[in-house]
Amino acid sequence: MSALATRAAQVGSPPRTPGRMPATVEAIAFAAGFAFLACLPLLVGGSYGRHVLIMAFLYAVIASNWDLSLGYGGIFNFAHLALFGIGVYAYALLTKLVGIEPWTALVLSGFIATAAAVLVTVPILRLKGIFIILVTFGFAQLVMQVILSQSELTGGTQGIVRIPGLTLGDHSMIRDNKFAYFYLALGLLALSTAALRIIVRSRLGAAIVALRDNEDYAVARGLSVARLRLFTMASSAFFTGAAGAFYAAYQRNASIDVFGMSLSTVILSMVLLGGTGTIYGAILASFLLTLFSEAMADFGAWRPMIVAVLIVGVMLAYPAGLAGLVKAAAGHAGRLVRST
Amino acid sequence: MQPLAEIVFGGLFQGSLYAMMGVGLALVWTTIGVFNFAHGALMMLGAYLAWTLTAAGLPLALALPAAILLMGGAGWLLQAGVVRPLIGRPNLVLAVVITTLAAGSLVENGVLQAFGPRSKQLPPLVEGSMTIGPIGVSLHQLAIILATPVVLLALWLFLTRTRLGLALRAVAQNEDSAQLVGLNVAALYGLAFALSASLAGLAGIFIGGYRFMSPAMGGDPLLKALIVVVFGGISSISGPIFAAYLIGFLEAFSNYAFGLYWTPAILFAVLISTLMVRPEGLFAPRMGKLA
Amino acid sequence: MSAPLEIEDLVAGYGRVTVLHGLSMTAGTSGNVGLFGPNGHGKTTLLRAMSGLVRPSAGRIRFFGEDVTHLSPQAIVGRGLIHVPQGNRLFPDLSIAECLALGAWTRRARAVEDENRERAAAIFPRLAERWRQPVRTLSGGERQMVSIATGLMGAPRLLVLDEPTLGLSPRLKEELAEAVRAVSAAGVPLVIVDEDVELLLGLAKHLFLVNHGTIGAEIRPGETIGHDAIMAMYFGH
Repeated sequence: MSALATRAAQVGSPPRTPGRMPATVEAIAFAAGFAFLACLPLLVGGSYGRHVLIMAFLYAVIASNWDLSLGYGGIFNFAHLALFGIGVYAYALLTKLVGIEPWTALVLSGFIATAAAVLVTVPILRLKGIFIILVTFGFAQLVMQVILSQSELTGGTQGIVRIPGLTLGDHSMIRDNKFAYFYLALGLLALSTAALRIIVRSRLGAAIVALRDNEDYAVARGLSVARLRLFTMASSAFFTGAAGAFYAAYQRNASIDVFGMSLSTVILSMVLLGGTGTIYGAILASFLLTLFSEAMADFGAWRPMIVAVLIVGVMLAYPAGLAGLVKAAAGHAGRLVRST
Repeated sequence: MQPLAEIVFGGLFQGSLYAMMGVGLALVWTTIGVFNFAHGALMMLGAYLAWTLTAAGLPLALALPAAILLMGGAGWLLQAGVVRPLIGRPNLVLAVVITTLAAGSLVENGVLQAFGPRSKQLPPLVEGSMTIGPIGVSLHQLAIILATPVVLLALWLFLTRTRLGLALRAVAQNEDSAQLVGLNVAALYGLAFALSASLAGLAGIFIGGYRFMSPAMGGDPLLKALIVVVFGGISSISGPIFAAYLIGFLEAFSNYAFGLYWTPAILFAVLISTLMVRPEGLFAPRMGKLA
Repeated sequence: MSAPLEIEDLVAGYGRVTVLHGLSMTAGTSGNVGLFGPNGHGKTTLLRAMSGLVRPSAGRIRFFGEDVTHLSPQAIVGRGLIHVPQGNRLFPDLSIAECLALGAWTRRARAVEDENRERAAAIFPRLAERWRQPVRTLSGGERQMVSIATGLMGAPRLLVLDEPTLGLSPRLKEELAEAVRAVSAAGVPLVIVDEDVELLLGLAKHLFLVNHGTIGAEIRPGETIGHDAIMAMYFGH
């Protein structure tokens, strides 16, 4: 055996997938994490507790998908909540006006949100930074204006009520203390997270990051900005739209509030507090912020103000988000271990 | 004849408000390189401050300058609280978007707490109305149309004819060199925010004088200001002013020709097509020019 | 009287990268000071620390006896330590006249603004012809002149020039060197960094080699040294 081959055998073959953790280890951790979440109803009693967790799961889906376009893709996409809102209204209109079966409507809503993402990506293909923020922000406002103006279909400011919920055979979704919706929301989060992690660990994910970090070099190596941007935006939209549909089915009403700045701010802070470019960070931050916001429920009208102060405080204190905090703590612990 | 006169008047009026809002945003962008998403909330705060002062018995002629001064302070505080500490961070633009959004939400909810959701209205700048040719106009709106160019001219003179304005333009162009001639960069950042907030406050007082005020009233003007600034090119002060009047006329025309509901879509379509042809904006000069 | 510039054990850098590792020097007591040394060894960082743009993590900088280590750039400029950075872009959309007016921003400088403007115009006659022209439209050499003239407007008690002739054609280099000599002749003490050794030898009698973030060698006034010896220092012994 040659020296080189011996050396290679010692080192082991290089990992095929980018990312630090081997795929099998991540898969096991992933399964364990979701198994734990599945057991949560044992720890958190009552249908209200499950309601809070359902909302946390939905926020986690929205935030982690936003992390794909914003964190990994570096696309300052401010139309992400509009994609969620499009999912809400698509499901409401499809089930109520067209009379499509709820589950089909949920999947269709995901595709409609994906189509909307493609639509908003076309004008930003050649734009950079702040211009992307402005155009996508404008797109979100436009969608809201259109929904408001088409009030005979969408109910305008009144919204849409009595939207058909999801069904599971003969099981009563309404009288089961939200158990079915809890596990459906968890399932949605699991599917979405698995899809996101597979994308970011793939060659395509590496290309998305390469484009973000050094556009000129990536283009010179033959990557297509337009195609990758379209792919990034479209793939961040499907589960976001599906989450919107799920939300509409669960709440059984649709309101224009989903386009409001305050929801956008809260979800964006989940992405940023979690630390961009990790997927898991956004999910964790969604859980924490939802629980924190619930804990503040007694403060009533003061709650949005407390959340706003919290967001600013964390942004100022931890520029890299909670993920940065965790990394810093890990580094510190590592140094302590090494120094002893 | 009458439709044309109405479009011209409506365009001038909307354009004035957009110019007032857009210039403030552009001032902050050119000096600091960030977008202030609390700009709409500042506008609303200006209107509520003026309302508080007039409700306390002050005539508008005193309440207006007092509210604008207070708004200068508010802008300074905003800068010191949520912008200045982030300067130098690699994700500055995004971080400031989130902190100013949060600050805006704080101000909005604070005003809601303090004043309640009930709509309020400010006294008009000038009472009464008159007819110009074929159309009747309110004197309040006419006063806004006439006052705005004066305010913008004053701002332009300040930026180009005074030492402090010169310093502000210098900071916008090169921060290191500005420090090396002894400029206090932090103070100039504060000044840019203070001026910007004062302009927003003035716009708020203008709007509060003819439309009901509510804590959420800043949302739409913020959006319009963003459109104006993108359209005009974000790296100058004059670009957004031209764009503001252009958008004002476009909006007035579209309202007349296509109706109120289609106007946002048409404005957006115009914005998108402009950006696809000229990503740097319609009237954009080189980067970092302030006046 | 204390020396214009005393630096003790200065440690400075960017983020986690330390560039200066305990640099010490005393300078300015006997005319102009020249700094030389390989690129990337800390000359520019040293100047940026002196002018307050880089915060030192340890050590002391004294300017005419006063501790200025942790002062803001603004306060340091106010005391008359003026730094003209390398490849200065200045303010692209301001005119020459506006740049010079900004140069005299501090209270100390404003008192002698007109006097300094005349002096600058005399040293750089080329600029007087283009007084109202924006800096962006000038050539590299002209921009360097505006840069130095703006520094002069700050009423310097010590003028720090970082590579004033960098990237210029030989002809322009000579013109600029002439101007720098004129600035020195007007009585402004200089700290000058340049890769043109002839220029340094002609201007300064007190030279320091900045190497590996410290002072590698010092050539005191009265010690004669040739071009070749300096080149040897650059490339190691």
